[in-house]
Amino acid sequence: MIPSLTREDLKIIGYNLGRVGNLFSVLMLVPTIVAAAYKEFDIIPHFIAASAVAFILSNLAIYFFHTKNGMELKHAVCVAALVWIFGMLLTAVPLWSTRSTGSYLDANFDTMSGFTTTGLTLIPDIDHLPHSINFFRHYLQFIGGIGIIVVTITVLAKSEMGSVLAFKAEAREEGIRPSVVRTSRMILGIAITFMVLGAVLLAIVGISEGMNVGTSIFDGVAHSMSGFATGGFSTHSQSILFYHSVWYEVVALILIIVGGFNFAFHYTVLSGKRSEVFKNIEIKTFFITLMLSTLIIAAALLFFNVYSSPDTLFRKAFFQAASAHTGTGFATVHPLQMSGVWPNLPQMMIAMIMLLGACANSTCGGIKAIRIGILVKAFFNEIKKTLSPKSAFVREKYHHISDTPLTDTIARGAALIAIGYIFLFFIGTAVTMLYGYGATDSMYDTSSALGNVGLSSGVTSPAMPPGLKVTYIFLMWAGRLEIMAVLALIGFVILALRRGIKR
Amino acid sequence: MKKLAFLIAVVLLLLVPAHAGAESGKALIENSKGFDGKTVTFQGEIIGVMMRGANAWVNVSDNGYAIGIWCSAENAKNISFTGDYTHVGDTVAVSGIFHMACQEHGGDLDIHADNLIVVTRGREVERTPSLPLVGLSAVLMVVAIFTILWLRYRHKEMEKIVPWPVT
Repeated sequence: MIPSLTREDLKIIGYNLGRVGNLFSVLMLVPTIVAAAYKEFDIIPHFIAASAVAFILSNLAIYFFHTKNGMELKHAVCVAALVWIFGMLLTAVPLWSTRSTGSYLDANFDTMSGFTTTGLTLIPDIDHLPHSINFFRHYLQFIGGIGIIVVTITVLAKSEMGSVLAFKAEAREEGIRPSVVRTSRMILGIAITFMVLGAVLLAIVGISEGMNVGTSIFDGVAHSMSGFATGGFSTHSQSILFYHSVWYEVVALILIIVGGFNFAFHYTVLSGKRSEVFKNIEIKTFFITLMLSTLIIAAALLFFNVYSSPDTLFRKAFFQAASAHTGTGFATVHPLQMSGVWPNLPQMMIAMIMLLGACANSTCGGIKAIRIGILVKAFFNEIKKTLSPKSAFVREKYHHISDTPLTDTIARGAALIAIGYIFLFFIGTAVTMLYGYGATDSMYDTSSALGNVGLSSGVTSPAMPPGLKVTYIFLMWAGRLEIMAVLALIGFVILALRRGIKR
Repeated sequence: MKKLAFLIAVVLLLLVPAHAGAESGKALIENSKGFDGKTVTFQGEIIGVMMRGANAWVNVSDNGYAIGIWCSAENAKNISFTGDYTHVGDTVAVSGIFHMACQEHGGDLDIHADNLIVVTRGREVERTPSLPLVGLSAVLMVVAIFTILWLRYRHKEMEKIVPWPVT
């Protein structure tokens, strides 16, 4: 029987939320440096006020919920789930108060989209946003891509036990180093290295493609943060199409694909085990599905005579497929053009790969390639078992960093998460259709929100109904946490409502 | 002949009221197949300029729907302001051939401009901090610092209290 909730449970959750809240307060002070550099002095007070409010609320939570007891799994799951809501509510303040969004709800939509590295936006005029707000949006994606808990552990690690539980609850099951604090620091180190490299390359390409130096550097840093985080926010309403540059697309592609890889895979390859590239089930699955989807999209576009030349077909199909599959959301085709001109088949294909996602323990959302690989292996294993004589013992294994036997428990775990995503996909699509949107558009934007992608067929806009905005906020949140943490939190709330909170 | 056509186009663009005959960005993007290969007129605010040798890419936004314009560097040099937070970009009128998927530019949706005229010069936008907000943010930050210090002090005081041993 599940034990009832106690006040101590709430104190542990509140205390740990307060500690992470302090991190949000500090995060909101960083854009003031950008605001000062670009002489956006009217924006600075917005960030200071929002940061102060976050400081006050977080420290009140720390004081009133102070406890010396550490987290158990149930607390860690709730903290990991609630941290994203708490962070969304706090960091939405500057977006709303600077009138970058039309309402506080829209600001929450954008910050949740930022933290979950989705990339959908309700900002009506991206091209005229202040630099500091634009930096803030991209930087939220970078933090969210690494993981709020990971960042918190790196900065504020107190107890190893609580950290381990929270780390796992944030949809990061694999340890890279023996200690979770070291693992978190390793993740942060890898992310910052790629971010800096990407920023330098994008800035060089920007300058060589005729942009002024200042804009090239700013855009380079911003797109490198949102690119490696597979977030997809852009400093321009046209996204990557703004640059009309094949080289900008190439660097962005490298960044988003690298961002889609598992951090444990990065560490293994960087440690010298190059053969992992060819052996890893997750990497193989990801590239197979990416190439297959690119081929299907290109074939459909050729068949329906949207593009005719092979290089255009490959360039457009591969970029949109890679962006969708890694859950990024950068685009080189205008959303309206896609929904108006592209046929349904490539749109449905993109919706499908948005739901698949890239690698686990990376910066992206979705079902994840490792689970797809495991499910495919388990499927063929079942066929093998059926065809083998009764006395035969069919054993299957897969390689991910090390060889692992494919057990029924592993396959069941992968299937459960996949079913959870598919279930939420149908719910989200049904809700969108109930608001009067077409089936293809509904599937497309639901996939995008749930898979934390950011491509849109036009459903996501400031004019969309508030109920649908809340639905998509929920989908982005549930998708980022791989559903289970959210379901556990809902269970926690139901338990509290049914049995009350004991002393 | 080419010069005459250019002159006529310039005169027409200057005489015709700002939006008359110009396609909206939304209509062009949404119905790009229908406009493909046709000469269109498009008007909007400059949001980006990239010089590429003798030519330039100029991104023009009409109510948030932006299209890349491929024009001569000479035309681009006439642009004074690019739209951003502190600037309203020049409003330009463009006439040229619309491409749904330009063969020359990797399949991008674009307009190859025959002509690009600055209709309205852009301007700087004054952005001054709101004094009440500056005051509020300063007060909130002071309150935050005092709250943290006071709570830390209270917490330390509470830690000093040794609980009575339970027998």
